[in-house]
Amino acid sequence: MVKPSTSDAYSIAVPQGLELDRTGRLELYYFMALNRKLEERLGLLYRQNKVVGGLYSSLGQEACSVGTAYALGHGDFLAPMIRNLGSLLVRGVRPTDVMAQYCARAIGPTRGKDLNVHFGWVDRGLIAPISVVGALIPVMAGIALEMKMHGKKNVVLTYIGDGGMSTTDFHEGMNFAGVHKLPMILVVENNLWAYSTHVSKQANVKDLAVRAEGYGCYGEIVDGNNVLAVLDATRRARARCLSGGGPVMLEAKTFRRKGHAEHDDAGYVPAEQRAEWEKKDPIDAYRRFLVERRVVDSPQEIDEIDAKIVAILEAAANEALSAPFPDPSIATENVYG
Amino acid sequence: MVERQAMSAKKSRYVHVPDDETKIRMLHFMKLVREIEDRIEKKLYRQGRIVGGVYVGRGQEAISVGTAIHMEKDDVVAPSHRDMGVFLMRGVTPRRIIAQYMGRRTGLTRGRDGNMHMGDMNYNVIAFVSHLGDNVPVAAGVALAFKQRGQKQVALCYNGEGATSRGDWHEGINFASIHKLPVAYFINNNAYAYSTPMELQMAVPDVAIRAAGYGIPGEVVDGNDILAVYDSAKRAIDLARSGGGPSLVEYKTFRMTGHSAHDDAGYVPPELFDEWKRKDPIVRFEKALLDEGVVTQARIDEMQKECALIVDDAVEWAEAQPYPAPEEVTKDVYYEG
Repeated sequence: MVKPSTSDAYSIAVPQGLELDRTGRLELYYFMALNRKLEERLGLLYRQNKVVGGLYSSLGQEACSVGTAYALGHGDFLAPMIRNLGSLLVRGVRPTDVMAQYCARAIGPTRGKDLNVHFGWVDRGLIAPISVVGALIPVMAGIALEMKMHGKKNVVLTYIGDGGMSTTDFHEGMNFAGVHKLPMILVVENNLWAYSTHVSKQANVKDLAVRAEGYGCYGEIVDGNNVLAVLDATRRARARCLSGGGPVMLEAKTFRRKGHAEHDDAGYVPAEQRAEWEKKDPIDAYRRFLVERRVVDSPQEIDEIDAKIVAILEAAANEALSAPFPDPSIATENVYG
Repeated sequence: MVERQAMSAKKSRYVHVPDDETKIRMLHFMKLVREIEDRIEKKLYRQGRIVGGVYVGRGQEAISVGTAIHMEKDDVVAPSHRDMGVFLMRGVTPRRIIAQYMGRRTGLTRGRDGNMHMGDMNYNVIAFVSHLGDNVPVAAGVALAFKQRGQKQVALCYNGEGATSRGDWHEGINFASIHKLPVAYFINNNAYAYSTPMELQMAVPDVAIRAAGYGIPGEVVDGNDILAVYDSAKRAIDLARSGGGPSLVEYKTFRMTGHSAHDDAGYVPPELFDEWKRKDPIVRFEKALLDEGVVTQARIDEMQKECALIVDDAVEWAEAQPYPAPEEVTKDVYYEG
């Protein structure tokens, strides 16, 4: 059910000039809802001991992943971080792939050899995340350099958190991209917490986007809970990159609603801060937008999308869990080139 | 006469102006730095009397002298390889410096390391780390200790513009800014990092622009004008000492040599050397002092002779010193209490 809109409810503004047809508007909803429900389902599997290893949630940040990935074009490269499951879904990864990967099954993208979202899919323009946060930035700058050298009309996009901004690799990668005016979009998902470190202990500035100037890059701040604003800002960033304007740093203001991972109760996060951000839920706000702007004729249309997602996830879980674990004989395959 | 008055009126734009005695002291140290480095690079090195490489700060003498002059006894300094003035002003003798360059037992590293790779904690000079930028977190750590102990001391730290591309630089300054540590960061922006010009090092015209990304003051200063250096350094050090946190002061200068004595710097356009020769910081300061009537030409000539005699003595003394004994090789490697 769609919650009734009240005057104090968080509502999302439509960016001026945003071109997006009805199908596009509904796809954004679909991917955000799929992102959330898939993670909820993984949460159940985790508690049933079906998930091998950790579980990382992007609850409350779905608009960042979906809005950014949705702005990309064919031939672009994207490298997700641990909270960008939504980006993978937009780029064509199926829920079955994700569940098989989390449950270490042989049909998963890494054939059961690695876990969670630690997988790449080069023919879909996906580079595998690197656990060492920040390390993806120079990697993606390298891909962008190749695009530039070969005159390709493409961009790379990757993510960093507020915590990852403090790393060596962020600085060196961003500096390199700036010097060579590379077509790179860096999405800074400022979710206020780097594990248990608040952003105020991570940086001496209010807005992380101010750092863009120091690298000769364009910086912009966007409401990370408004999928339309995220999409619009990323599209503009992409256009800037393609016109040779150099890298763009996009700071999406958002909030990590769960712990760092499923095993972290995040007791260090003040309850009132969590409550404040729950009111700004990106999916609830977008549902209200779809109804109020009459993108859908009735809330039931959205409920139907939700029901479809539930069915997809049910089938995906069955398929993933009925697949075998990898055979020990493949342990050394794909390790060396 | 009218012209002279205009000049001194112009100089009064500085908040902090040294007294005449301090000005003469600064000139002495600038000349002494030049004399020692000229002797090492142009004579001793070519005569094969130096062990290893030679890195000089010719043309940059105003920076180390004009900043370190403000140090108090218990302050700590982490110089770069172009800051000979720091060593001399802290009281390290020319004799021991030449002995260091000659690999003698009485050099700062007892003959175990060469050239500017030296430090002496008796004078609160932290040894230069070859990996440029590494001294930035070291200086932040020193400053953290001062802060935790409630001491009114400050740390000074020097780097070139090339080092600012390194992750250590970013991590160190970020840490210092978050914790408002009493440290002043000075950049010798000498336009070339080995053979890499500024525009291939960063996409911004000034390193100081980056200060905004750490929420600290940043300033661009003429590094060949010692009075400007003196004034800006005093502000940065006073701010740090009064609990205002770190600053980033960028001194624009030029490396009047190759990266080292073995580098002919053929990659530097000759007109740049010509242009910067006209801005020589020592010639400029001498002229200002003559105009002000603080010194006479005879006094300057005398100072020059004094410096030559000091270095003559240092060379003679150092050459009479023994090389380290082989059996001492493991001494100072491990802590022996």
